Amino acid sequence: MKKNSLVTLLLFTAVFSALSIIYFGVVPLFQQERHPVVIAVSKSPLSTPFYVAKAINAFDDTCVAPEYIAVAGGQLAFEKVMSGQADFATSSDSVIAFESLKARPFVTHAMFVQSDNDVKIITRKADNIRAFIDLKGKRIGVTKGTASEYILSTLLAIEGLSLGDIVLQDYPPEHLIEAFRHNEVDAILPWEPFAFQTLQSLKSKIKIHDTKSLSTLSFNLVSQTAEQHLVEQAVCVIQGLQKAIHYITSYPEQAKSIVITELAISTDFIDWVWPDYIFKLSLNQSLILNINAQANWAVANQMTSVNVTSSAINFIDSRALLKVDPGAVNISR
Amino acid sequence: MKLSLQQHIYFFILSSCLFFVVLVSSILWSIHVVDVAIERERYAHKVENHSNVLKQFIRSENIYAKDHNIDQWLLLEAKFNELLTRTPSLSAEQKTIQYSIESQNKNVLKLFNVIHENKLKKADDRIKQHLKLRLIMQLEAISSDAKQLFNIVQKDLHRVIKRQVTLVLSILSLSLIILIFGAFKLVKIFSTSLNEVKLAFTKNRCGNYQNIKLSNKSEEFESIANAFNEMNTELSATTVSLESMRKIVAERTEVLEQLSKTDPLTKVANRRALFEKGHDEFTRLQRSGSSFSLILLDCDLFKDINDKYGHLFGDEVLQHICFVCNEEIRSIDFFARYGGEEFIILLPESELSGAIATAERIQSSLAKQTITLEGVDVYVTLSIGICQAEKRHGCFEDVIKDADAAMYKAKENGRNRIEVCHNE
Repeated sequence: MKKNSLVTLLLFTAVFSALSIIYFGVVPLFQQERHPVVIAVSKSPLSTPFYVAKAINAFDDTCVAPEYIAVAGGQLAFEKVMSGQADFATSSDSVIAFESLKARPFVTHAMFVQSDNDVKIITRKADNIRAFIDLKGKRIGVTKGTASEYILSTLLAIEGLSLGDIVLQDYPPEHLIEAFRHNEVDAILPWEPFAFQTLQSLKSKIKIHDTKSLSTLSFNLVSQTAEQHLVEQAVCVIQGLQKAIHYITSYPEQAKSIVITELAISTDFIDWVWPDYIFKLSLNQSLILNINAQANWAVANQMTSVNVTSSAINFIDSRALLKVDPGAVNISR
Repeated sequence: MKLSLQQHIYFFILSSCLFFVVLVSSILWSIHVVDVAIERERYAHKVENHSNVLKQFIRSENIYAKDHNIDQWLLLEAKFNELLTRTPSLSAEQKTIQYSIESQNKNVLKLFNVIHENKLKKADDRIKQHLKLRLIMQLEAISSDAKQLFNIVQKDLHRVIKRQVTLVLSILSLSLIILIFGAFKLVKIFSTSLNEVKLAFTKNRCGNYQNIKLSNKSEEFESIANAFNEMNTELSATTVSLESMRKIVAERTEVLEQLSKTDPLTKVANRRALFEKGHDEFTRLQRSGSSFSLILLDCDLFKDINDKYGHLFGDEVLQHICFVCNEEIRSIDFFARYGGEEFIILLPESELSGAIATAERIQSSLAKQTITLEGVDVYVTLSIGICQAEKRHGCFEDVIKDADAAMYKAKENGRNRIEVCHNE
């Protein structure tokens, strides 16, 4: 072997060994410590970014090692946070609006999905309810303190009706379909996947009213009022969500498969709801206006015992999202 | 693969053109990419501005008034819809925002239509204000989305500019490195090959016929080298080198010199050689006092021999005398034919006694060795004059003159005898 070839081989071996040592030996030393966090995740396709994040190991490079608690709806998720059973939760803007009235110590870190058709009004075909005005005097099942109640009150108001003009019955979201099936109520306002499950089980017997564009809803990452330590964890959670949302945007079909597996739902269902969803991280003035509007509406319509509203800005903490994606924050105080 | 120099140059030019094309293409591509990014930025800015206009309209107008004219609203919405249809190409992330904007706009339209259809005749002011707020909120959402799109696009623009500048600089650097390498390679081939040819010519001039050995292979220089090498082979076979020529000339010159100093008949030194030697010895005498003696011999009755036995025999007699004399003198003595039948022996560092002894040996030897002609012995005798060179002599010729005088004296005194020149 020529001398030059030997030198080259030795040099190559030395460089390769050095790189291997750096990669396998030194790099792990610099990997940040991962804190276990508990996230109460609403069992809904709206929580897709969380399912995808876990499936693609998006949190692996962050400072958190999340554990999910599956709950039926954002309100229950919120309660998990407030009771200290979870560090973070996924809750809709309506839940935030209702909870803001109670002046509980919580903050919203980021909105990660929006839909303009998640909550639906379902009636029986036999009742021949064509317009919302026909709901007058009917028994309507909702989950109080959620988007379900807020959207119903809005739709009634458009027709000059109030919640007093109907018989409002409160059910946990997973019980709405049973109440409807057992004729306890004439109409229900479930969110997905309960609306789809109702359609699947009762098929031609029901009518789903077109409320698209009138029932906008967003899902948000909330926690108790955040100390610096919690903000740092929120940063890591949002980093994972950001990777997941990039993945959903780039590979929607794979993302759908992940949700189908995670929620044990059908392809038909995911195809039913997917077009209504927009997955993106943001924290903007519209969310604040929305929360304020809903809170004011709840007070004005006596949907709560509280009379005084507090500005939604008090329940927004933009520090974490500003660290991850400053361009996604558009809030003026 | 061996390439000719011409092919090297063509390859170099083609590479330069290719790199130029790649560079120009990358610049054009960069301009296009940056243009697209700027177009996106403009689009996001327009969407934001337009959503603000719509928001201001909703805020300022009493949309529930019976006589409210919605033409302006429809015009603004139409413009906004048109703007949304003229979307530039967007990335996946940007498309999500765009989809959100479109979706929010549909919500705005639907909500506005619900409001406008019956002016919410049955609704109270609370719901009217609430729905108006919902409209504003939706428009605010569009505005926020537009701002977010603007931020993403701007970040993207910076990233694109940075990436494209890096790309162009990388291609430029790579092109320059390769072109400089190519240029150096060409120059090296030229200079090395030219130096090797020049070296071969230089060696050739010195008579060292060496072939050109090229370090860098190129068709053109190889053809020159081959032609040169063939020429060298022929030259080395047919040309005498300067060194051998000098040797020959030296040998010939030596021979000629020898001939010019030798008597052709007797093959002993001639008169010219004698005088060169004599002058040298005389100079030595004058410089260091080293004396020499001179013997002048003359063949007695030589004319009679010629007349009686012929000139050829006379020549033989002379050769015989030379033979005898050469036999009897020392190795340092110088023997020459002075002229006709006269000979001179120059004896360096010899006094008269030594010269007399030498002369006597010659006489004795000659007496013993006769020459036979047709069975008859012929005796030859010599009349000898001896003189020792001294300071009184002005030149070598004076010494000869004295020796000659002594020799004549020997002739006068009966021939076949020795006479010595004495100082007077």
